[in-house]
Amino acid sequence: MSDALKILQESLLKARAESSPQQILDLIPYSNFIGVEAKIEGADVLYRMDRRPSNIGNPSLPAIHGGVIGGFLELSAAIEILYTLDVNEVPKVVDFSLDYLRPGRYKTMYANCTVLRQGRKLVNVSATAWQDSSDTPIATARCHFLIN
Amino acid sequence: MNLRLAIFKPMLKLAMERTGHGAALGFKITKIGRGEVEMMFPYKAEVIGNPVTGVVHGGVIVSLLDTCCGSAAITTLTSAAVTPTMDLRLDYMHPAEPHKPIYVVAKVYRNTSNVMFCRGSAWQDDPENPIAHCVATFMKVETPSISLTNIIRRRFNHLIRGAKAFEKEADK
Repeated sequence: MSDALKILQESLLKARAESSPQQILDLIPYSNFIGVEAKIEGADVLYRMDRRPSNIGNPSLPAIHGGVIGGFLELSAAIEILYTLDVNEVPKVVDFSLDYLRPGRYKTMYANCTVLRQGRKLVNVSATAWQDSSDTPIATARCHFLIN
Repeated sequence: MNLRLAIFKPMLKLAMERTGHGAALGFKITKIGRGEVEMMFPYKAEVIGNPVTGVVHGGVIVSLLDTCCGSAAITTLTSAAVTPTMDLRLDYMHPAEPHKPIYVVAKVYRNTSNVMFCRGSAWQDDPENPIAHCVATFMKVETPSISLTNIIRRRFNHLIRGAKAFEKEADK
């Protein structure tokens, strides 16, 4: 087993034991690049992405890049699997379907995820992103992940 | 070559490569045609998604394909309009290999009065063996205020107002 895999698996156990999904995010450089944070809220994990200039897609509005919203939701879904399910490798994304409902304004964005079904090999996760209130989502995603 | 496209090409390149997320990731637009755009992304360690293998995160491929499909949609416009993404669906055929650039191509395959249908694919070594394939739809929202003539008119009015204010100040 490689060192990186060993570090990942130890961190996963530690993160679950300490109820700290942020520790899993810290292992993934992409989360730092777009600025995603996670914290426990009630029984769920709440994902947050603060605004930053490198996430802008349209500078004249300004609006968050559609790809960043996709990346944020895909990352949140993967963390949800790593944190809530008994999986000890980074899940492989198979497909990802994203509906944009409202423009992503240049401010903090939140997301939460639901594991809709877990099979032996495949997991289906839905993720929703919002800014002002969870009643007015800006994007919703469905994705399939392969797990070992 | 189309004159509109000739003026438009450097503007699109500037908007996609020099600002915001495109600049942060280091996208390069390698080809712009009517309804077809090609892009390249050099490998970057900051956007790794799997710390064990060093493969870039899927979010980067979402960004690449969204930008590429969106750019292809813009190239088909014949009037001042914005093209927000309605939806995007991505299939990952096999994981990307680390330390290698990713190439993307997107094409508009159907253009209607309100909606543009796009498809795109991303590959590393062989275009016939893509790492991901996507379909995306874009709305066409007419926005006269962003047409070049209107922007020039606004700038001109702004200058005239400035000059008048200066004259008034000088008369005092």
